[in-house]
Amino acid sequence: MNDRPNLSDLIDAARGHLESQVIPAIKGDAKLYFQTLVAINVLKIAEREIALRPTHVRTEWARINALDATEDALPFAFNDAEHALAAKITAMCSKIRAGAYDDESRRRALFGHLTQTARESLEISNPKLLQTLDEENG
Amino acid sequence: MTAAQIFIQNLTDFLAAESAQTVVITDAAPLAGGASRDMWRIDATFDGTLNKLVVRRDLPTVMVESALTRADEFALMSAADGAGVNVARPRYLCADPSVLGGAFFVMDYVDGVAIGRKVVHMPELADARAALPAHMALQLARIHAIDPTPFAFLPRPSIGSTPAYDAIQQTRATLDALAVQNPIFEFCLRWAEQHAPPPNALTFCHGDFRIGNLIIDARGLAAVADWEFAHVGDPDEELGYLCMRDWRFGVGRLRLGGIAHREPFLQAYESTSGRVVSRASVDFWEFLGNVRWGVICLSQADRHLSGRDPSVELASLGRRSVEMGYEALRMIEAMGV
Repeated sequence: MNDRPNLSDLIDAARGHLESQVIPAIKGDAKLYFQTLVAINVLKIAEREIALRPTHVRTEWARINALDATEDALPFAFNDAEHALAAKITAMCSKIRAGAYDDESRRRALFGHLTQTARESLEISNPKLLQTLDEENG
Repeated sequence: MTAAQIFIQNLTDFLAAESAQTVVITDAAPLAGGASRDMWRIDATFDGTLNKLVVRRDLPTVMVESALTRADEFALMSAADGAGVNVARPRYLCADPSVLGGAFFVMDYVDGVAIGRKVVHMPELADARAALPAHMALQLARIHAIDPTPFAFLPRPSIGSTPAYDAIQQTRATLDALAVQNPIFEFCLRWAEQHAPPPNALTFCHGDFRIGNLIIDARGLAAVADWEFAHVGDPDEELGYLCMRDWRFGVGRLRLGGIAHREPFLQAYESTSGRVVSRASVDFWEFLGNVRWGVICLSQADRHLSGRDPSVELASLGRRSVEMGYEALRMIEAMGV
């Protein structure tokens, strides 16, 4: 089915309701007001994740392949791809802790990969901060 | 009687017994507290003289995770007060949970602003911000000079270890306990292990000394609050910690808590403490502070995810974790990959 509204539309509707209807009604309750702002932000993160995550899974997968000189294929179905990526990351974590990337060129390559991974994550969770930091760097 | 009336009645009786004076509470209002305890602002007359006080109380239902007890905190604040540190003077301690539903102590109320965003931005506090670097340096030098010997309860590095190595191991243990697979923090911890600076002589550390935990008035630093994470550690840990980007509250270019550049503060600290400070060591501890705070964010999210403490605020902290991870990577780049 091609149901409408789609997932992004539904989240957008819930966020719009909180922003336009709930927020004006609770300005007198500082705690509830703050928590609702947080809830709105959480929905914005979810909307960005829907838009960006499929691309990020592919780019992160490709970088790990390059880093480890492998040519593993990313599973086609999105859930399978997420699981396969998670397994790669788990293996990478153990290897980092065990010192498998200590060698200078490996370490630098890993550092570049992780910096890009963090940037992609911030594009979803806090793109404004990423922009501020990039401006600070000049 | 309502819960509020019982609270007032029991507190009145306690204060009267402790002070041997006639006590009348004329006003009581909640203050913003932490997740595990609450604070009340109290106006009370003692034999007719008005006293402005604060009650800091453990919440009856919350298990406190690794922080100090109210009795410990009371003892430390008393010692800090005696050492010339600006603190809200602690007055009375009650470890008996039957009085107010949880252990509590009573201290003087200190007027001022603690909320980080306000401290960093309020136009009325411009003079305070100009004075703060010197005030913070003096207060930290005095805190680091407190003799920790009487306080056996203070967490300290294990024998044969160092504060940095302990911090790395504890952070890894937290990741393992959460079953979180995070290659950014794993890399940072591996880098930390291989680049930790030589440790300094251990000192008393406040443990959470930063904008947001300091009460600021128009003249500058009025009181150092939140002593529950005090420990014995490396004094550079505190100098780096208070420079972390997240404690700059949006004014990222001012490394000292969003209010000033770092170097004049470090020089003031050196001249007051008489200790030469390695800038590289302070850099390292700022970096490690980011890693630790980023992992704590994941722990906070886990409180929500596990169902122990459902909260959209805790959930959202999990996604803030990468802000600290990215900052830590940026710092590694500056220090040398």
